[in-house]
Amino acid sequence: MTAPLGLEFPPISHLIRWPDLLFEDTPYAINKTTIIYFLAVLITLTFFFVAGRRAQLVPRGVQNMAESSVEFVREGIIMQTIGPDGLRYLPFLLTMFFFIFFINIFEIIPLFQFPGNARMAVPFILAILVWFIYNIVGIAKQGPLGYLKSSTIPPGVPKPMLPLIALIEFVSTFLVRPFSLAVRLFANMLAGHLILVTFAVLSAALWGKNISLVILPFPFLLLIALTGFELLVAFLQAFIFTILTAVYIGLSMHPEH
Amino acid sequence: MRMRTLFASFGLGLLVAIAAPGVAGAGESGGEEPTEEPDIDHASEECIHLLEDGGEIDDCQEAPSPILPEANEIIWGGIAFLILLGILWKYALPGVQNMMKQREDRIRGDLERAEQAKTEGEGVLAEYQRQLADARNEAGRIIEEARQSADQLKRDLTARAEAEAAQIRERASQDVQLATERATTDLQSRMAELSIELAEKVVERSLDRDTQLALIESYISDLGNGRRG
Repeated sequence: MTAPLGLEFPPISHLIRWPDLLFEDTPYAINKTTIIYFLAVLITLTFFFVAGRRAQLVPRGVQNMAESSVEFVREGIIMQTIGPDGLRYLPFLLTMFFFIFFINIFEIIPLFQFPGNARMAVPFILAILVWFIYNIVGIAKQGPLGYLKSSTIPPGVPKPMLPLIALIEFVSTFLVRPFSLAVRLFANMLAGHLILVTFAVLSAALWGKNISLVILPFPFLLLIALTGFELLVAFLQAFIFTILTAVYIGLSMHPEH
Repeated sequence: MRMRTLFASFGLGLLVAIAAPGVAGAGESGGEEPTEEPDIDHASEECIHLLEDGGEIDDCQEAPSPILPEANEIIWGGIAFLILLGILWKYALPGVQNMMKQREDRIRGDLERAEQAKTEGEGVLAEYQRQLADARNEAGRIIEEARQSADQLKRDLTARAEAEAAQIRERASQDVQLATERATTDLQSRMAELSIELAEKVVERSLDRDTQLALIESYISDLGNGRRG
């Protein structure tokens, strides 16, 4: 790649595709992304086991954080979207939230600096899983026809409009939902990663080059600010993915809402 | 539990995906092989490989679509998620939730106990206040009674004293009267005796008129001077 401005921006595939480290060229290949998945599992489990190991009636430290997070998923997500009968989905939604969050957070962890969800794999499988869950729940709660009716025919639609609306609703519920769910997470993390790379590359290119050193602080300070911003995004995207899942399940359970 | 079945079938599907290498064979790697020539960078090296494999120069510009998920990442991501879900669900979460439940119960119990103690305390206080009021009333009543009985006693005593005094006075006046009567009687009998005595003397002496008169006068004067003994 030529660098007319002394700036060499790597091709996108080099920013998000990582070489295989183990079992190269097999479907079980292990690369940086999969290691981030494993670490997300390990961190979550450690977090909860440490919290549970030294559990005391008066919570402090890690226990407090773990309990607050459970409380957050229970009160902030499930009770707001599904209601008390959604509490059985607590383990699933909690797992989902932490899995996504910790994979995201590697975006700003030094040496890793890559959000695992800038790869489509986890958003894709989670979205598929969510698709299965809300459809199965809907069919189980309302029956196949009732579910189809409640999810494609909104109340109060004039007769002539009905076929068009039903078609749109059908596409929206059964096709677009999982796609948008997965792409929202993936694209947000990828975009955040590209922005951080851009400013990091820019800062690096400005380093040590005569006059350009003067403007180095600007991209660098922005890089720091954006790193903080990515922390927020990591949390927010995990939250959005989880709460939308809860909303979909809730819609399948209580179509009247 | 339907959820468990769902997750189990999801895991099974993943297993099938792993077992069928044909399905998941797309794992194209950005494998970085050690290069003999250090000035060729990674991108150029990939391009050389592509050209060697009979590709066009345009292929060098084409990167695999970043939106298509890679098989190995799907497999490991899915496994990782299921492991996390399983362990969290089975082992980690119950501990945390138990502790939260315990605390919740504890706090609720404490609050209920406090409420109960408060109610009890209020009950006891009301009881005490009632008893105190009762005691006050009782004391008032007793004092009133005492005052009444004292009054009564006073009145009784006064009446009795008055009655006794009257009685005493009565008796005294009776005594006086008796004494007077007795004295009168005595006097009368004495006068009779004296009259008889006098008559005897008169008869004894058979005196003339002058002597008799003198006698009577002397007698009367004797009487006037007091008892003759």
